[in-house]
Amino acid sequence: MSIFRKRHNRLRTDYLSRAPEGPVHDYLAEPFPALDTPLRELPMLAVDLETTGLDPAVDRIVSIGFIPVDGHSIPIAGGRELLVRPKTVEGVGHSATVHGLTDDQVAAGLPLTEALTQTLAALRGRVLLAHHAAIEIRFLSRACQNVFGAKPLFAAVDTLALGSDFLMQGDDDIPRGRLRLSALRAQFGLPRYRAHLALTDALACAELYLALTAEMGQRTLKQVIVR
Amino acid sequence: MDIEVAEVVDFLAEHAPFSDMLGSERITIAKEAQLRYFRRGTVIIEAGAPNNSLYIIRSGAVDIVEMNEGLVDRDEPGDSFGTSSVLTRLPSRYRATAIEDTLALVLPGRVFAEMYASSQVMHDFYAPRQKGSLRKAAQELQRVDTPILRLDAIDMVSREPIAAEPTITIREAAEIMTRERVSALLINEGEQLVGILTDRDLRSRVVLEGVPNTELVSTVMTHGPLTVSPEMKAFELLIIMTSRHVHHLPVVRDGKAIGLVSAGDLMRLETANPVFIVGDISKKTTADGVAEIAHRAPRIAAQLLAQGADAEDATHVLTAVADAITSQLITIAEKELGPAPHPYCWVSLGSQARRELGLASDQDHAMIISDDATDLSWYREMAERVVDGLELSGFKRCPGDAMATKWQLRESAWKRQFVQWVNEPESNAVLHAQIFFDARPTHGDFTLFERLVHVVFGGAQRASRFLGHMAAMAVRREPPLSFFRGFVLENSGQHKDQFDIKSGGLHAIIELVRVQALANGITEPGTLTRIEALRSRGRMSDDHAADLADAFTFISYLRLRHQASLFERGQQADNFLDPESLSPTERRHLRDAFTVVRQAQSNLQYQWQTHLMN
Repeated sequence: MSIFRKRHNRLRTDYLSRAPEGPVHDYLAEPFPALDTPLRELPMLAVDLETTGLDPAVDRIVSIGFIPVDGHSIPIAGGRELLVRPKTVEGVGHSATVHGLTDDQVAAGLPLTEALTQTLAALRGRVLLAHHAAIEIRFLSRACQNVFGAKPLFAAVDTLALGSDFLMQGDDDIPRGRLRLSALRAQFGLPRYRAHLALTDALACAELYLALTAEMGQRTLKQVIVR
Repeated sequence: MDIEVAEVVDFLAEHAPFSDMLGSERITIAKEAQLRYFRRGTVIIEAGAPNNSLYIIRSGAVDIVEMNEGLVDRDEPGDSFGTSSVLTRLPSRYRATAIEDTLALVLPGRVFAEMYASSQVMHDFYAPRQKGSLRKAAQELQRVDTPILRLDAIDMVSREPIAAEPTITIREAAEIMTRERVSALLINEGEQLVGILTDRDLRSRVVLEGVPNTELVSTVMTHGPLTVSPEMKAFELLIIMTSRHVHHLPVVRDGKAIGLVSAGDLMRLETANPVFIVGDISKKTTADGVAEIAHRAPRIAAQLLAQGADAEDATHVLTAVADAITSQLITIAEKELGPAPHPYCWVSLGSQARRELGLASDQDHAMIISDDATDLSWYREMAERVVDGLELSGFKRCPGDAMATKWQLRESAWKRQFVQWVNEPESNAVLHAQIFFDARPTHGDFTLFERLVHVVFGGAQRASRFLGHMAAMAVRREPPLSFFRGFVLENSGQHKDQFDIKSGGLHAIIELVRVQALANGITEPGTLTRIEALRSRGRMSDDHAADLADAFTFISYLRLRHQASLFERGQQADNFLDPESLSPTERRHLRDAFTVVRQAQSNLQYQWQTHLMN
């Protein structure tokens, strides 16, 4: 679902032409930043999803957290945590122990349609930033397909991939666990956060991105985009 | 639904001044701020360049360097920088450089300026330091109030004193006392207090002696009773009552009684009061007995601090106890050795003289002996007994040997000694002599002391070279710069895990105040008293005096609290403070106190150069 360089805006227009009127269409109507966009000007949105499991076919989104990254800074006011109200009465079950959200809290949240609409609006013209972005992309795509009947396309940057590149500079063998968000953050002395709140994880990912690119010195989107 | 960026708001809630702000204000800050990341080595603000943001460090560390002075501060998470250039709208005086990878919250200058104007908390924190901020800090450390320490004599006076003329009869006096329900009657001649009649007097001097109650009250009253001034502290009244065995103290201003404080009044204030120790000491007849009581003193000081006493109160109590111990030991020695062949005066030196005794104080004292004395053996013997007794009571022998066993000179010899110190101010001599300029008579013939002080201080005031040496020594004690990650940050940028709060803080102030007091003929030994005297003579600005007094009080308090906590844990009291034992706010105020000291030192240096040029 991610895209290759040079073709990413062409691919977007293909998707756009197939999308019915609605949030996915509106999102795709806005061009992605060009690949030669300097990172210091690059508009991004760090996104994290809390889900009931890892399989988009059976599991569902419990909450969506996002916060913008404008070049080298994170405007905190743009941070959002959107709790998603389940369609059925089926509870959050087991996963409550992971993300700490109770059924009551989730029940007070937004319908999935509304949460996705807001997320797509925030993503308009921005590059999606996530830690292990494939998960976010798969879940968002699947949900959009179900709700809006159209798949969006994302230009994405993955801090897990960047972190892997960063660690590879030193030694070839990356020990297990070193690529976890918290482990990578610790490398840069970034604060310890409570994990598994969507907005906190999005913020944690955004900060890590600033640290990784400052350290490795990439200059344009082309150097960091997921291929 | 909109959940705030909790991590940022929670972070702010952990650090001053944001911790003291409203939750809604913290949210405003979080929403207006951006997070930015600076690789180590990045210059965040360049000296001489404009800056329009407040930076709050989220992680990492930033050095603040002033071009002329070098390292000014090293900031850690929770610290902020960039405020002065935002507030003054002038180019930054400092260069801020990330010395580690640093994540910072960046708040637009406009937002900061608005909050600075609207939030008292923000204003108090970032206002160019001082004007009482340290005093507030010291007061915050001691929220609890102990009335016995807080209240002045005048605060305890609840009604006009009941008084009568000396010409009434004993019976009339008894009628008044019964009607007014008082246990003592003041006797005034016109406006002036001349006597007091108490219930006890009626029993012991009237009933038991069989004096008819038709006699004039003046025949049985106590003439010229012991009185106190309105400003005296309640605990000082208690000391007088217990040591002089009286139960009523008229409060007198200009000879006129304005009230009466009874032992009952004091007892109601505080049922179990530590100051009774002074009375207990005066009942002991052996050095061992005195020592037994003396060892209760550190506990008392610790209790006082726990009850919310400030440093001045606690050091005054410790000093009062030390004075009582000294006097009692002398009294015991005099009883055993027989009366002194000629008059002498026992003089306390150093911290006891300044009434600034801590819990780890050595004994420092001297003896002035009348010139009539030819054989000094009595005095030597007496001094040895007192020194031994003080040691038993927990006062270590002075390592510099500033003790009456060595320093027992006749009045004329003292004068020669002081002339020598003052006229030959080799730095060693000055070092030695300093302690003798903090002196207070504690026992014996005080006129010997007063005559000597008159001569000594007159001479010192004119001795520029001597004062110059003292000033040079006073500025040599450099306080630390700041704190960083639980370490003390020295001017060199080095870290230490503890610092000597006496040498690097208290004594820096004591010495610089002492030299200015000497230069201005101020004979009072107390540091705060000297500061006030310098201020009232226009030798120190109001602000400067207030800052210095506050810094002194604050540092004294931290030292005493440190010593009290060591004592509580059964450890030997010392002056080495671990920054980890301080709260972030205390560290910040201590840093401010150090700034005050450094400023005072540079003022002194400047004054002294000017002084020498004239």
